[in-house]
Amino acid sequence: MNNLDRQIEQLKRCEILPEPEVRLLCLKARELLIEEGNVVYVDSPATICGDIHGQFFDLLELFKVGGWCPETKYIFMGDFVDRGFYSVETFLLLLAFKVRYPDRITLIRGNHESRQITQVYGFYDECTRKYGSASVWRYCCDVFDYLALGAIVDGRVFCVHGGLSPTIQYLDAIRAIDRKMEVPHDGGMCDLLWSDPDEIVGWGMSPRGAGFLFGSDVVRTFCHSNDLDLIARAHQLAMEGYKLMFDRRIVTVWSAPNYCYRCGNVASILDLDEDLRQEYKVFHHAPPDPRSVPAKRPPAEYFL
Amino acid sequence: MFSPPDTDSATRSTDQDALHARLSASRLGYIPDPWAALFLSRPQGVQNRPGLINVGTWLRTRSVDLLVEEFIARVEGGGKVQVLSVGAGSDTRFWRLATGPLKDRLAKYIEVDFPEITSSKARSIWKHARLKVVLGACKLDAGGTALHSEVYHLLPFDLRQPPAALGALLNLDAALPTLLLAECVLPYMPPEAGGALLHWATAGLGLGGERVPVGVVLYEMFGLGDAFGGVMRENLAARGVSIPGTLPSLHALQERFEAAGYTQSSALTLQDIRTHYVPRSETERVATLELIDEYEELDLVLRHYAVAWASKGLAGEGEGEWGLRKAGEGEES
Repeated sequence: MNNLDRQIEQLKRCEILPEPEVRLLCLKARELLIEEGNVVYVDSPATICGDIHGQFFDLLELFKVGGWCPETKYIFMGDFVDRGFYSVETFLLLLAFKVRYPDRITLIRGNHESRQITQVYGFYDECTRKYGSASVWRYCCDVFDYLALGAIVDGRVFCVHGGLSPTIQYLDAIRAIDRKMEVPHDGGMCDLLWSDPDEIVGWGMSPRGAGFLFGSDVVRTFCHSNDLDLIARAHQLAMEGYKLMFDRRIVTVWSAPNYCYRCGNVASILDLDEDLRQEYKVFHHAPPDPRSVPAKRPPAEYFL
Repeated sequence: MFSPPDTDSATRSTDQDALHARLSASRLGYIPDPWAALFLSRPQGVQNRPGLINVGTWLRTRSVDLLVEEFIARVEGGGKVQVLSVGAGSDTRFWRLATGPLKDRLAKYIEVDFPEITSSKARSIWKHARLKVVLGACKLDAGGTALHSEVYHLLPFDLRQPPAALGALLNLDAALPTLLLAECVLPYMPPEAGGALLHWATAGLGLGGERVPVGVVLYEMFGLGDAFGGVMRENLAARGVSIPGTLPSLHALQERFEAAGYTQSSALTLQDIRTHYVPRSETERVATLELIDEYEELDLVLRHYAVAWASKGLAGEGEGEWGLRKAGEGEES
């Protein structure tokens, strides 16, 4: 068994890798990712996944439902880290798959794959807690800067973490972005990672403070201009695991069941077959396991 | 033999959650509360809460404050009121009121809670001159589990006892309008006990005869029959907290008021309040305080908490009722 396979087996058991191994894995990943375009071409069949947010044991449920990599070809639409208890293990496992089977898994950047956001929502703290320093957080953030901004399956299904941007009418405009940087506070790259579809006409202000809200007319025009059947995105909790909108032209896929160990939602992944037929596979959170929630966990908070 | 389940100490521990949340929201500028830190032995060791918790604490505090202020404002002739806050825990509302413009309108402000809570609160008050000076002359009582001053009174009582026993302790004034506050209290009690407490307030507060006007303000979780509620019960059970007294819907909250003899009642979710009842200027101010990047989760949680209020015999009933006001016309929030 080579070193990488050994690392994958170790990560599958939710065991972290030693810091020097993380450094090398991240360097190898960057070498690969730097060669990928901003929008990665993927051939069907493929399985599309939404936010994971460090819920490692629920990610194992996802693989049980969808099949392991490399047997199943995956597109993960970002937000691997933050919120959950196992962001390190989650991101490193996906990254190890990427390095081992580069053509069988595509990793798209989410708005949480950012230095700023991870310092607020948990990934930074988790890295310093598990490694005693911020080095692993820094290695991972350097990888984040190289993650793709989108993927396109058979030229017909566009995958992106958040949504559309008023500055981007054509996919070629995404290809022209210089993506290798921290997520900016505005502009096309920011919008792709932050925007949300909403029941409005045209464009609206986003309550998130970054990106925009966009209506069905925007989606219709974008799909028409780019010859798309579907926009698949993540970024928003969907209690039923997915949510189709706007004459089924856009879907939110959400892959973190019982989000934050509090929301009670189910999750889903989207299987696209050779004819791009959609099958949404719904799954539940991992059965209570002493390990799935650490003993000294911060309890899910409520107003009491 | 039956040993008292430690769910009581778990229930009492929820007061620390609320206190930490209030400290966090005040530090970050959501709500002004210079008093919260004084009830903690090491406030500097308390980390700020997540944004979602701060927003909920802001909405809850703001809403209950407005209802209390408006209740007092409605009392005719600028007369005095008495406030009875049950399960008050380490709440700081008395200090905020007693140092604000309505301070001369309080005849009595009585807080009631488990003796473990009241003794700790009494100690904090005794220790901090800043808290004590607001009370004026005061004395500890009942082995340090009670504290009395002219206006403010702190009393130990298990609210699951019949309310008649509570009435005997309170020394309320039969002639004054009375406001009952219960923030996150009734859900922890058996449903009958909560109903009995609400009924006791409309049925004369144990003073004999009907005493009006009387108002009540509740803040509590509800509607836990869905997947979110199931997870909430599990998560709370894991820390030993049970919530047998939650109601299934806003409608059920109002029905409980009606059954208890109130003639006017309303109930809103915290999500309703966030969306429609906060002036835009305030929403915009709060949006600058910290990053809130996820509204689906926030709204999901806020939809499971209600602010509910009811009254009997309050002046102006029927003509622009006592209650929260929608954000102004032409000023969508």
